[in-house]
Amino acid sequence: MDKNNTDKTEKLLATAQNLRWQVGENFHESLMESIYSDAARIADRAVKVDDVKKKYDWDVKIDKLVTSRTFGFPLMFLLLAAVFWITVEGANVPSGLLASLLVDFLHPVLKDFMLSFSPEWVAGFLIDGAYLSMAWVIAVMLPPMAIFFPVFTLLEDFGYLPRVAFNMDNLFRRAGAHGKQALTMSMGFGCNAAGVVATRVIDSPRERLIAIITNNFSLCNGRWPTQILIASIFIGAALPAHIAGLVSAGAVVFIAVLGILLSLVVSYGLSKTILKGEASAFSLELPPYRPPKIWQTLYTSLIDRTIFVLWRAIVFAIPAGMAIWLSANVMIDGTSIAEHFISWSNPMGLLLGLNGVILLAYIIAIPANEIVIPTVLMLTVLTAGNPELGAGTGVMFELESQSAMAEIFRMGGWTALTGINLMLFSLLHNPCSTTIYTIYKETGSVKWSVIATVLPLIMGLVVCFFTAQLWMLFAN
Amino acid sequence: MSDPLISLILGFIIVSALMAFFFPDKGLLAIWRRSAKDSKKEALEDALKHVYDCEYNSLSCTIRSIAGHLHTNMDKAAEVSARLESMGLITSNNQKLYLTDEGRSYALRIIRVHRLWEHYLADHSSVKETEWHSEAEIVEHTMTIEEADSLAAKMGNPLIDPHGDPIPTAGLELPELGGVHLNELEKGDIGRIIHLEDEPQAVFSQLIAMGLHNGMQIHIIDKRTDRIIFEANGEENILAPTLAANITVKKIEDQSEILDDFTPLSSLQVGETGIVKGISRALRGQQRRRLMDLGVVPGSKITPELVSRAGNPVAYRIRGASVALRKQHSDLIFVEKGE
Amino acid sequence: MNPSPENCANCPVHNMGNLKKLGVDMSDYDYVIALAGNPNTGKSTVFNNLTGLRQHTGNWPGKTVTRAEGGFIYSDKKFKIVDLPGTYSLLSTSTDEEVARDFILFGQPDVTVIVVDATRIERNLNLVLQVLEITDRAVLCVNLIDEARRHNIIVDIRTLGKDLGIPVVATAARQREGMDELLKSIEEVASGKYTCNPYRLSKVNPGIRKAVERIQNEIKEQFPDLPNPRWVAMRLLEGDQSIIDAIKSGELGDLKAEKQIHQPETIQN
Ligand SMILES: Nc1nc2c(ncn2[C@@H]2O[C@H](COP(=O)(O)OP(=O)(O)OP(=O)(O)O)[C@@H](O)[C@H]2O)c(=O)[nH]1
Ligand SMILES: [Mg+2]
Repeated sequence: MDKNNTDKTEKLLATAQNLRWQVGENFHESLMESIYSDAARIADRAVKVDDVKKKYDWDVKIDKLVTSRTFGFPLMFLLLAAVFWITVEGANVPSGLLASLLVDFLHPVLKDFMLSFSPEWVAGFLIDGAYLSMAWVIAVMLPPMAIFFPVFTLLEDFGYLPRVAFNMDNLFRRAGAHGKQALTMSMGFGCNAAGVVATRVIDSPRERLIAIITNNFSLCNGRWPTQILIASIFIGAALPAHIAGLVSAGAVVFIAVLGILLSLVVSYGLSKTILKGEASAFSLELPPYRPPKIWQTLYTSLIDRTIFVLWRAIVFAIPAGMAIWLSANVMIDGTSIAEHFISWSNPMGLLLGLNGVILLAYIIAIPANEIVIPTVLMLTVLTAGNPELGAGTGVMFELESQSAMAEIFRMGGWTALTGINLMLFSLLHNPCSTTIYTIYKETGSVKWSVIATVLPLIMGLVVCFFTAQLWMLFAN
Repeated sequence: MSDPLISLILGFIIVSALMAFFFPDKGLLAIWRRSAKDSKKEALEDALKHVYDCEYNSLSCTIRSIAGHLHTNMDKAAEVSARLESMGLITSNNQKLYLTDEGRSYALRIIRVHRLWEHYLADHSSVKETEWHSEAEIVEHTMTIEEADSLAAKMGNPLIDPHGDPIPTAGLELPELGGVHLNELEKGDIGRIIHLEDEPQAVFSQLIAMGLHNGMQIHIIDKRTDRIIFEANGEENILAPTLAANITVKKIEDQSEILDDFTPLSSLQVGETGIVKGISRALRGQQRRRLMDLGVVPGSKITPELVSRAGNPVAYRIRGASVALRKQHSDLIFVEKGE
Repeated sequence: MNPSPENCANCPVHNMGNLKKLGVDMSDYDYVIALAGNPNTGKSTVFNNLTGLRQHTGNWPGKTVTRAEGGFIYSDKKFKIVDLPGTYSLLSTSTDEEVARDFILFGQPDVTVIVVDATRIERNLNLVLQVLEITDRAVLCVNLIDEARRHNIIVDIRTLGKDLGIPVVATAARQREGMDELLKSIEEVASGKYTCNPYRLSKVNPGIRKAVERIQNEIKEQFPDLPNPRWVAMRLLEGDQSIIDAIKSGELGDLKAEKQIHQPETIQN
């Protein structure tokens, strides 16, 4: 650019700068006012409303109900419980069918087929490791997700989520957090990584960080199969069959609500310490209710979300299955690596009301929480050393019934305390690696990623420790 | 574990010890880190700022006044001033201290960082207004001018800081603001606060506690030698003239700018309708803009529609859409009740 | 720079350089279309409909937070279409709206399709009028027309089209209603068959009008080809750094290299 032009642009910018001092801070306001008055005029000419009152009434009635003082909160919990209950009840049978197909039937067939042309360890590694872990994840994950996601999406499409945010805003405001955190939390119930990305709707950096750090307290789909299973074994099994499902769902809702409470408490703590500040503006547009197209929604959420999440689980389950098989079959001094680690970490696990197996399982499951239960089962059999159960060392298997699973847990030295603490620890531990990476990408900061990773883990350890010790104190 | 009671006590002690050490702000680690920071540079820069202040207010500066400003003894102050002189930032003549050109730009750079940071805190964070100044006092010594420039660019090159002080431009010019002290207005005058002095802290806190803020409309109701009575955004206040000198105002010339309705939006009941008159200047930055984006501009009709459980937030119908607002914001939107 | 419109009425107008910096690969495509609009107006639903892809949709504002791209072929031309996060305004500085704002401002799409909610038109027009200040190649998609009908709201499409000076199409994206007409309008604007004559703000407040006009005139003098000098003037008066930089470098409308919008989401704290 030549000298002359540069001078001209400099002059232009200088004029603008000077004029800014003259027009002052009101510029933006005046402009918005002009735009809106034009908008009003144009809209006035083009939009006619016939008898709005009558038609809007329905929406207003629903709104009055779902945000009402008496019914707002109970309705919310009821809906949450209903979603879980439908999931628990509906997933039971298909899960069992999938398990008998993929594990009981296909697994031996594939194993025999592999053995016919490859050495024992190759067949073990591929079929007992990789294939079985994948089969297990499909059997456990697919049915609940195929129910949970569509039901949840129906609520989302109807327009219920913003009302949840509206109802809960008062709590979030007191915790120094943003009202839209309720929305990102809801997204976290599907997947924490998605929840973390969704925090972009929060425009205050401080409150967005709080939302990111606390998103992990939303039980994600990788964790609630664990919750459901443990709840049914340690709580539901003690009850008559017809109410077991309801009570198990209740226990899961309890943990989910505990997660919400903790996220409020932690938000409050953060607002008072490292992310000091007051809650900023909250403006949320409440969209009109839009009756969802039920079949279309069911179809797309099944295809888009369920298959997508399942795929991710499988991708992580296969290498994890291989790793477990190896750790159970590679021997050092006559004992497998897994057993070495478990006997080393067991005392610490017991101190926390858990055990070495669970700790190892949580390390193996860092990439994906979905594989915690299969890993735990397999490792328990391995260390409890029961020859009749399980098809061999390092094999992840599905068991016919929950009572058989309970049997294994009992042999592994599990008590009711172990079950409860596993549920707590499943809620309170580090986010999965995908989520951690997402947090890093979104915040661009190592510091916040570390805090978001370590904080829930420490909380989990502390909570489990004190629960365990108090339990022992009073149980004895 | 053999004895849970002992474990419990041990666990409790360990957790408490870790907390005592790592706790943010109040923990030992935080205290240690704070004490280890570079206090020499701070003293130099604070002294330089002081000399600049003297020049700006046409006062004269001495080593004694530096000592007073830094809360230190004469020896230390003399050391600081000698160091500044050897750096070529100030000169001394007849006990009095003067800025060199270089010293002036150095001081302006610090002030630019300080005021930009206050602007950042006010508009883009949720730090309390009483803490803006003290936070900026720390940041001004650590942030480089380049960082400040890019911060300014991100914030749309703000002109004045939240207290109403002009922010030195990137070219280190400091525009004049004008205005008069509050006690120079006469009875019946209507003006707008353009500056609230943030030092001394005690006075500033008092002004803040009265709910005063920059941009507020002031109407002098009565003026006597010992006190000034005025209406600020519709609420009556009384101030001693010495305190009133910490407030700078500008008379409003344009009659159309004068607001006469200060009914807060939050006072509307469900079913009542209001016409938006304006948004208080206390609502700043992005939050203010977002409200306007949603249609909260003068002339808009607004009707409360839904009240949540605790009465807060409330959803309002505005320009055909339903928007939930928290009370702390609907308090700051002024409406005229209609129908 | 682009070929100027006089030489070639139906050439694409998009700015290749900027698109590249924004991370949009335009090889194999003739036109680029942006989907803008307030949050929750059905942009992603329109996008899914046109491309056959499956962006997530949901009935709350802020469902889409990142940009999504897809393509379709219509009357032998290849269109690239970009789904943007919803935004209330182009004048604000909020980070959650940065992705959309930057794309509309700097991506210079061949057509900007503004999707509005037929039941909340007045509020939505705020953004429409802002977009029309920037570009004269736009199509208005009045979506959710089925919802408007359900609530007895009648939208006079012709009047709206006449007032705004751009093609206006009523659609119900979820039911695929009006999609053909939307495609046709997009194609007509993209190819230059339809020349928009967009509405520009009429009565800018007298207090600021003088200032705007003064700068506007200086800009016109220096950048005579610029389609939107008033917008640039207004941005200057708000201290918008990206515009200041663009003027300094002489490439007004060009995106500065360091203004990478791949990761606008980094939080500083
Ligand atoms: N009844 C009806 N519903 C629609 C129509 N178009 C979209 N929807 C629904 O409206 C909701 C919002 O649609 P989206 O496509 O997610 O909206 P968006 O503009 O992408 O929203 P953001 O990404 O949040 O900005 C969804 O629940 C859609 O199913 C329509 O034409 N009619
Ligand atoms: Mg979308």
